[in-house]
Amino acid sequence: MTAAKAIINEIQGYHRFIKFLIFLVVLAALGGAIRFIFGLGATTNLNDTYPWGLWISFDVVTAVPLAAGAFTIGVVAHVFRIEKLEPLVRPAIVTGFLGYSLVCVGLLLDLGQPQRGVYVLFPWNWNVHSPMFEVSMCVMAYTTVLFLEFLHPVSERFGWHIPLRLLRNLQVPFAILAAMISTLHQSTLGTFFLIAVDKLHALWYTPLLPLQFWLSAIFTGLCIVMLEASLCHRYMGQPDESKLLATLTRIVPWVMGAYMIFKFVPLIAAPQGPLFDRPVLTTLFIAEITIGLFLPFWMFLQSRIRTDKSMQLQAASLVIFGLVLNRFNVSMFAMIQPGQQIYYPNILESVVTLGIIAAHILFFVLIAKYFPIFEHHPEAVDYSIPDRFHKIEKAGSVEVVEAPPQPAVPRAQPSPVAD
Amino acid sequence: MSTVNDFGKNKAFLIDMTKCTGCRGCQVACKQWNQLEAENTEFFSGEGYENPPAMSEFTFTRIKFRDYERNGQSEFAFYKEMCMHCNDAACVSVCPVAAFVKTPEGPVIYKTKTCIGCRFCMIACPFGVPKYEWSKAFPLVRKCTGCYSRVKEGLKPACVTTCPTAITYGPREEMIKEAERRLSAYPDRYLPKVYGKDEAGGTCVIYLTALPFDELGFKPVTMRALPSYTWQALRLVPGIFIGVGATLSAISWFQHRKERVQNEQAGMLSAMFQHPREQESQAQEDQTSQDVKEDQRS
Ligand code: SF4
Ligand code: SF4
Ligand code: SF4
Repeated sequence: MTAAKAIINEIQGYHRFIKFLIFLVVLAALGGAIRFIFGLGATTNLNDTYPWGLWISFDVVTAVPLAAGAFTIGVVAHVFRIEKLEPLVRPAIVTGFLGYSLVCVGLLLDLGQPQRGVYVLFPWNWNVHSPMFEVSMCVMAYTTVLFLEFLHPVSERFGWHIPLRLLRNLQVPFAILAAMISTLHQSTLGTFFLIAVDKLHALWYTPLLPLQFWLSAIFTGLCIVMLEASLCHRYMGQPDESKLLATLTRIVPWVMGAYMIFKFVPLIAAPQGPLFDRPVLTTLFIAEITIGLFLPFWMFLQSRIRTDKSMQLQAASLVIFGLVLNRFNVSMFAMIQPGQQIYYPNILESVVTLGIIAAHILFFVLIAKYFPIFEHHPEAVDYSIPDRFHKIEKAGSVEVVEAPPQPAVPRAQPSPVAD
Repeated sequence: MSTVNDFGKNKAFLIDMTKCTGCRGCQVACKQWNQLEAENTEFFSGEGYENPPAMSEFTFTRIKFRDYERNGQSEFAFYKEMCMHCNDAACVSVCPVAAFVKTPEGPVIYKTKTCIGCRFCMIACPFGVPKYEWSKAFPLVRKCTGCYSRVKEGLKPACVTTCPTAITYGPREEMIKEAERRLSAYPDRYLPKVYGKDEAGGTCVIYLTALPFDELGFKPVTMRALPSYTWQALRLVPGIFIGVGATLSAISWFQHRKERVQNEQAGMLSAMFQHPREQESQAQEDQTSQDVKEDQRS
């Protein structure tokens, strides 16, 4: 009783925006309930012509690359050891963990037989020829890895030293494992559409689609990190990280450049069919590459924009817009055959997807409220492996005691940074 | 994918659309044998006399009607829509739980107890065959089974048994031979093409027609087996997985080493300006890198 009251009190203290998010999530949960009572046909606008709709196009095909920030920043910070980026890692991991958990939720809603989801794990059902098999295995594995990484702030919060030490030693292996798994499933999401040979329009169909999906996931992941850090700075009173983000803005154009090569060269050299035969698709394609690719690419090349925090945010948002449009183009718009009736999501479908986005923001804010995901100061901790001298225990206890923003302990060493 | 590689021995349908009378006995036989519900139909709801308007969870096969003019007279042409029972089937290759199986007898069957309902098969099938039970809370995929339960027992599929004129059933290589024989015997009666011989890598349903296939509503499909499109990417998966892991491990090891060496060099200098606690940890750090160095030397 008192516990319930305490929770209610706590919730009543939340900001209006949070309450609004909670409302959206509840709506989405109702939508989900309707799906399980009345079926997919009644809840969605899906039919035999459109077996995949908004829930696949957004909640899976788009949400997975949007959650790629965790693995990209993990690699940059822990494998390439650009240690000053450390403050960006944890929020990214939380975002990634939430993102993948919600992908699983979205997938379970969309599956016809969600209770059989585990069947993918049974060896007698394995089908290595199926891209879907690979993606489901990877998503499950990666969600687990992200969960373990997420345990890091949790154990800090509760002062669990043993797991903390273990996790800290596993940080680099986890970053590598995350990159391995992510490479596979980010690219395999592109492989999905390779089977749609005569369905996907030639503007997007290319055997290099997996490579494109992987590269675009990498640079968008970094842009998501920028977006998230900027928003946390603006709305959650977190320190301004735009200096750190400027480092990321130097990496992004390289990956975008590679992406452009692998996007346009096959299109020009080996088009898979007539390219500009459908005005709507041509428009979508041009919108995708100009607003979502060329413009932010150009912006990231300007050093003035790279270091300006609001311009950073704008460029990153454009990249994210470009990715979302690209995934929708591939998985929805360009799959529509000429003369087919057009699919559009109905209100229930949209409410559920909105709720999933709201849930993401909501849980992020709540986790940030109750767990030390920003107060993490790597300067106080030595990351060298192995931890023979139990330094983590000391550092960990220091952090647990000092919950408010800490006086930055002078850095042990100026860490070698690429620039 | 499938264990069968010699598809010539698979049982196949040879459907000669020029001999079809449009009686739709096959449609009815299919409904009966598979105990499929009737659908509400209306005349001219679709493109002509055809009914129901599309294949669905209740309709596995269907005769499409086309009006056309020949010698100043209007005539009908037909096309029997059904699962093509592809040799190397897209639906089999994409299913994450292997719910689709290409049987050694030829039919591609679907295991209702395994399917998780991702509907990838519906995206993948080049002929748009698998349909879904949209009205159910826990739906399954439905499609023509090639009457596997009958074929297994040595019977012919229900529609073949019913059809008075147009459908022949037998080993695929014989059906193709027969189709080619008809083409050469009556070249003026047919379009010179055996649809299904190479379409989508070869199918176990083979058509002969007098009208161009696209006019009849056949989907334009690639001649390559569809699974090969995804497999050319998927076969790289283990290599990429290990490659990425190895590369990143190497980079990580290299960066750590670089850092330790730098720390060691900077150690002497910075020691003077350090907080005692830092110094202590620095000493340990040096110790560690010393160890590493020795490890490397040995
Ligand atoms: S039973 Fe034979 S003749 Fe009758 S509609 Fe079917 S294919 Fe044509
Ligand atoms: S026609 Fe479609 S459903 Fe039938 S076997 Fe081929 S891919 Fe599978
Ligand atoms: S819907 Fe069922 S049969 Fe089709 S691919 Fe998914 S799991 Fe396999």
